[in-house]
Amino acid sequence: MLCQSIDTLAMAFLDDELAPEEKRELELHMGDCAECRHHVETERAELSVLRTALAPPPAPDLVKVRLAVMLDNADREEQRQDRARARSTIGRWLLPGAAMLAAGAAIFAFVMIRPPEAPQTATVAKEVIRQNSRTLPLEVRGASTGPWLRENFSKAIEPPQFRDTKLDITLLGARLTAVNGHNAAQLRYMVTSGDNKFTLTAVVIDELSNDDLTGGSPVKVGDRTLHIHDANGIPAVTYVDENHMGYAFASERLSPQELLELVVSSDLIGRAQQGR
Amino acid sequence: MQAAPHSTQSTKRAEFERQALVHVDALYGAAYRLTRNPRDAEDLVQDALLRAYRFWDSFEQDSNCKAWLLRIVTNTFINEYQRKKRSREVLDAATAEQDATDGVLVHADATVQRNPERALLDRSVSDDVQRALEALPDDFRTAVVLCDVQGLSYKEIAEIMQTPVGTVMSRLFRGRKLLAAALRDFALAEGYVRESAAAEQSAEQPPQAKSAVAIDLDAYRVARAAKGSGK
Repeated sequence: MLCQSIDTLAMAFLDDELAPEEKRELELHMGDCAECRHHVETERAELSVLRTALAPPPAPDLVKVRLAVMLDNADREEQRQDRARARSTIGRWLLPGAAMLAAGAAIFAFVMIRPPEAPQTATVAKEVIRQNSRTLPLEVRGASTGPWLRENFSKAIEPPQFRDTKLDITLLGARLTAVNGHNAAQLRYMVTSGDNKFTLTAVVIDELSNDDLTGGSPVKVGDRTLHIHDANGIPAVTYVDENHMGYAFASERLSPQELLELVVSSDLIGRAQQGR
Repeated sequence: MQAAPHSTQSTKRAEFERQALVHVDALYGAAYRLTRNPRDAEDLVQDALLRAYRFWDSFEQDSNCKAWLLRIVTNTFINEYQRKKRSREVLDAATAEQDATDGVLVHADATVQRNPERALLDRSVSDDVQRALEALPDDFRTAVVLCDVQGLSYKEIAEIMQTPVGTVMSRLFRGRKLLAAALRDFALAEGYVRESAAAEQSAEQPPQAKSAVAIDLDAYRVARAAKGSGK
């Protein structure tokens, strides 16, 4: 009987699904029956090859970033709904009330349902957003930007390159600037998305410490932490590398999530993750 | 009072991150094998996790969070992706299922015959796996992914797929046989495996003949009990 059902038994045995006495019986039987023993061993080897082949890759960092942003959005949505509910409850409450009471309740409601504090925007991020909105003449253009950067800064820095497949992003050039008393370079990129063209500004800031970037929402990418900032609806993403080089990106045409994805897909983060 | 809704929300988020998000690699792995491409896998994980986050209150805190999440991933896949796909390729799916049940694997890849060198360049073992999975009907693939990628028990898979354990076993058995045969064929086509070794193995294990065998642990148990009482 065991020989007849060996397909079923071998499978359940290898998946550890047999009851203890069924397992014992099969093991005893395999001691006597070379054919069934061989069958189980062949199946075991095949299963092991299959499981190795099927082992999937881990989730890419970018997927994790997008999930974090998605949950942030879900939180915000829920808070908006909570506030709307609070408002409508208070509204019902007010209808029969006296004017005095209404005024008092309105103040109370205002205090209670005030939107949660927007994350404080770091001065650095504000500065980058401000610079993004002004078009000042470039000192260097195109391919000369890399050598020019290295001439003007003590450290070996490269202009970040973007590998986003959906958008075509070209480095136009750069100019020197200053952010909070730090030497900095403003890099300007042209982004082409279908028929749309717009600029993306990256500011590279020398000798920046993490303290200069308090505020914003931290997002972990691998072992790196980036910050997303929002100044009046214009997003900025900031990052300080292990050499205290600060990078800040802003573009008024992108959503915070799009900008973050762009920065994560740049070789800046790739470089950092390879430990350079 | 002012901070109450906000702090509840952040507690929920923190708990969700601690208990659910730690499984993101496992969920992505399952989604990757179920959908067979990174883009759909990401969409599926996003949909499933958003759903899980919205229904986080209904998760029983002491139960197995990973199994709960995998159930959501699988159900989302079955309900949304499969339906979408089905409506696109009703005929293809029906043919694949028919072929697979007949024990014939759909792996006739014309490129291999026409341009073997090019085919070699295009391929890697992981592509082979995805292509082999491609040829499996969704139900077979789901059973294999839940068991061999995620390590769930027959009972857990049966609950997720809402089928009897016996059905899970036969889907798993056939799914594995078809996958193993496909991988062997791809490996052979690319020279990973020596012809003689493969021939030896396929002579031992003609998949068509074996898949005709009924996989039925219950029937075995009934027969065993009957025999035991007859003794």
